[in-house]
Amino acid sequence: MLTFAVRRIAYSIPVLLLASVLVFLFVRETTDPLARYRASPDKELVGRERKLLGLDKPITHQYTTWLTNFVHGKWGDSFVSHRDVSKDIRASLWNTMQLIIWGILFSAACAIAIGVYSAARQYSVLDYTFTGLSFVGLSMPVFWFALMSIQFLVYEPKRIFHLSQPILYSVGLHSATDHSLLDYGRHLVLPVLALSVQLIAGWSRYERASMLDAMSSDYIRTARAKGVPRSKVLFKHGLRNALIPLTTIMAIDIGALFGGLIITETIFAWPGMGRLFVNALINGDTNVLLPWLMITAAFIVLFNLLADVLYGVLDPRIRLA
Amino acid sequence: MRRMRRSTQLTVVLLTLALVAAACGGGKKKTATPKATTTTQANAPKGGTLVLGADQEPLCGDAIGACGAQLWAQYVFEEQVMARAFDMTSLGKQVPSDVLTGLPDLVTTPKQKVTYHINPKAVWSDGQPILCADFLYSWDQEDHDQDINDRSGYKNISGIDCPDPKTAVANFSAPYADWRSLFSGFTEIWPSHLLKGKNRDALVKDGFKWSGGPWMLDHWTKGQELKLVPNPAYWGKKPNLDAVVWKFPADSAAQVADYKSGQFAAIYPQAQLLLALLKNQPNTFFKPFVVFNYEDLWFNTSKPPLDSKAVRQALAYATDRDAIVSQLFGPVGSLIKPIQSYTTQVNKTWYSTEFSKYKRDLSKVDSLMKGDGWTKGPDGIWAKGGKKAAVELNTTAGNKRRELTEQVLQSEWKEAGFTATVNNTKAGTLFGQWLPAGTFDIGIFAQTPSSPHPSATMCSNFCTLSIPTTANGNSGQDYTRYNDAAVTTKIKGLDTELLATKAKADLADIMSSLVEAVPSLPVDPLPQVFVVNTAKVGGYLEAGNPIYGPFVNLNEWYCKGGTC
Repeated sequence: MLTFAVRRIAYSIPVLLLASVLVFLFVRETTDPLARYRASPDKELVGRERKLLGLDKPITHQYTTWLTNFVHGKWGDSFVSHRDVSKDIRASLWNTMQLIIWGILFSAACAIAIGVYSAARQYSVLDYTFTGLSFVGLSMPVFWFALMSIQFLVYEPKRIFHLSQPILYSVGLHSATDHSLLDYGRHLVLPVLALSVQLIAGWSRYERASMLDAMSSDYIRTARAKGVPRSKVLFKHGLRNALIPLTTIMAIDIGALFGGLIITETIFAWPGMGRLFVNALINGDTNVLLPWLMITAAFIVLFNLLADVLYGVLDPRIRLA
Repeated sequence: MRRMRRSTQLTVVLLTLALVAAACGGGKKKTATPKATTTTQANAPKGGTLVLGADQEPLCGDAIGACGAQLWAQYVFEEQVMARAFDMTSLGKQVPSDVLTGLPDLVTTPKQKVTYHINPKAVWSDGQPILCADFLYSWDQEDHDQDINDRSGYKNISGIDCPDPKTAVANFSAPYADWRSLFSGFTEIWPSHLLKGKNRDALVKDGFKWSGGPWMLDHWTKGQELKLVPNPAYWGKKPNLDAVVWKFPADSAAQVADYKSGQFAAIYPQAQLLLALLKNQPNTFFKPFVVFNYEDLWFNTSKPPLDSKAVRQALAYATDRDAIVSQLFGPVGSLIKPIQSYTTQVNKTWYSTEFSKYKRDLSKVDSLMKGDGWTKGPDGIWAKGGKKAAVELNTTAGNKRRELTEQVLQSEWKEAGFTATVNNTKAGTLFGQWLPAGTFDIGIFAQTPSSPHPSATMCSNFCTLSIPTTANGNSGQDYTRYNDAAVTTKIKGLDTELLATKAKADLADIMSSLVEAVPSLPVDPLPQVFVVNTAKVGGYLEAGNPIYGPFVNLNEWYCKGGTC
C-alpha cells in the first residue's frame, strides 16, 4: 500500500510543476501588474515599479524567482492592498473550508440516503421523483438558485410573518451584533444549500447506479440465498461496496470546490477563496492570483491523489493491480 | 345644539373614514420622504447599530498611497474618520469644514499663499490637537513619499509655515486653482504625532484606530465587515448611533434582495434597471444621486475612420443620447438627463451645455459625410476609398449598462450609415493595454473626478503631454490621442488661473475647441441610487454631495425607536 501511495505522490510532482509553469505564463500574459500606474501623472513611476517588481528581468528568471519564493512560503504582498498574501489566502481558505465541510456532510448524507432508497425501491414513485429532482438540480444554475433562495427563504418568510429579522440570512458569516452559534448557523444554511444542490443531484445518481450494480452482484444473491436479512444485505454488503465509486467522485469534487465556489461566495458575500479570486482578477493583482491558482491546483491534485489512494484502500484489487 | 351634534357626528364619520382609508392604504406603495421627519438632532433617539451595504470593500486604508482615489473607501471609512479642510454642500460647493475656524485666507500675488486657521477645538481621537504640524506632515507625504496616487496641487506647494501651532500657511511655487481640494477630498489631513518618521502605508493599510472625524474604527474583518463607533473626542456633532457596520455584498442582484429582506438599512449602488424593483418598496427613500462621475464615448482620433473630424461629428449627430439615457436610467429616475460637458449637472460652477448642439440629426450626418468624401453604398453604409465606415465599440465585458449602450448605438448608427461591432474585454485589459496602446476604436468608460474643478480631469484627458506613448511608458490618460498644442496651453492655464471669472471664460474657450473636434462625446452622468429603509433610519437623508456621497452626515442619522 505504501509503495502504491508513494508512486501516486511521485506522479503528482511533475503535474504540479507543469501547473506552475502554465499558471505563471497565463497570469503574466493576461494581467498587467503595472496597469494601475500607467494613468499616473508621474512619468517615471511605471519604470520604477517595473524594476521594483522584477518585471524587467527575463521571463524564465521571473518564473524561477517566483517558484522558489512560493515553495518557501514567501508569497509577497498584494500589489493592490500591500497586505501579506499568505495571510489573506489563509483567512479565505478557512472560510471556504467551513462551507465545504458543512456542504459535503449535508450533501453526502442526502445523496447516500436518496441513492440507497432509490436503488432499494427502484421505479417507485419516490424513485421517479428523486430522479426528476436530480435532473432539475443538475440543470439549475447556482446563481439563480441562490437568488431564489434569498427571495423565498429570507424575504418572503419575513414579509409574510411580519418578522423584524429574517429567519435565515444571506450576507456573510454572522450578523453585526450577534456572533452566536445559532447566528452562524442561520448564515450558513443558504450558501450550504446553494453549493449542495448540484452535489446532491450528481452524487445521488452515482449512488443509485452503484447500489443497483452492487445489489445485482453474485455475492448479494448468495447472501440473500443464505438467508441474511434484506436490511443487512442492503447496508452491510450492498452499501459498503456501492460507496467505493462515490468516495472517489466525492474526493475529486471536494478538491475542485476549493476554487469553485465563486458564485456562491459572491452572492452570499462569503469571504472565501472565490471572492478573493474575483477581487484579485478585477484588480489585476498578480501576487494574489499566482498563489491562489497554485493552491487550488494543489488541492485538486491532492484530492485526486486521495481518491486514488482511497480507492486502493477500499478496493484491494486496485492496489494489487 | 342639534347643529353642533351633526357637525360633530360628521367630523367623527370623516375621521373614521380617514383612519380606515389610511389603514387600508398603508404599506403597499407608501414612500417615506426624509423631510417628513420632525425629529431634530437634539431629541434624536440615541443608540442602536445600523447595518449598511457597500458596493465595494476598501482595498486598504492608505487613502493617499496604495488605495488612493477609491470612492467606497472614502464613503465607508476615510470621510468618517479623517480630518479635512473642506467639506462640500449638497449643491457641490466647497465650504470650510469644522477643522477650520472659517474660510482660509487666499493671497494670489506675488505668489499664491493660503493660510488655514485651525479650530482650537479640533483634536484627534487621542486628545492631541490638530495642528499646523499635521498639515506639514500631510503635504510632505503627498509631495515626497513614494507610491502616492496623485500629487496634484501638492507639488505646487513649496513649503508650509507654522507661524503658530494652530495656523498653517501653504506657500505655492506655482499657482493652483483647485486649492480648495487640498487637504480634503481623497487626500485629507494625517496625524503627524502618530505617523511622522514611520512607514505610513504599513501603519494604515489594514485600517487605523485614530480619528479626526465623528467616527472611529472598531474593527475591520477583511471580506466581512467594517465597524465604526463614535469618536468620543470629536468636537462637532457627535453620532446618535452606537455603531455603524458596513457589509460588502459583491453581487448587485443579491444586494437588492438583501435590502428587501431587511438585512441592510441603506445601500448606494450604481443606477441600474434592477433597482426599479425598490422604487415602490414600502418605507423606502429612493433617490437617484448624480455625482461628478460621467461616462463618455471616447473616440480614438489616431485611427481611421475616427481620425477624421467629420466622421466624429457625424457619429455625434447620429447618436440620440436622450434615448440612451432614457433606456439606461428611465425606470430608475426620469430626471436623469444626458450631460453636455465634461462634468455633470450637479457641478453648478463648471457645468456648461456646449455639447447640446449634437442632437440626432441624420441630415447633418449626410452632409458631413458627403463633405468628407464618403458615399453611401447599396447596403446603406458609408464608404470611402473602398473602405466602409466601420467602427468597433470597446468597453468592460459584463457591464450590463454599457452593453445596453452599445446595443442602442449599434442600432442608431446603422440607421445613420455606420457599422458598429462590439469587442469588449475585462477592465484590466481595456485600461491596462488597449487604451494605453491605442488599440481601440471607441471606448465607453467613465471618469471619476475627485474635485468639481475642471483641472481634475481636463488636462489628463486632453493635454498633448498626457497622450500615452512608448517614450512615456504608455502613462497618461489622453487615450483619444487628441493632440492640439494650443488647447493644451489653454488647459494648462486653467489649472493655474485663480480668478474664477477668467477661468470660466477660458473653459468656455477650451470647450468650444473640444466640441468642434469631438475627441469624446459626453453621454450620461453615471448616477448612483441612494436607498434607505425609513422604517429603521431617521435623520436628514439629503445632505449628500457629489464628492462625499450620501453618508457624509452619518453622525446625524439615528435608529427609529432606538433599534435598527
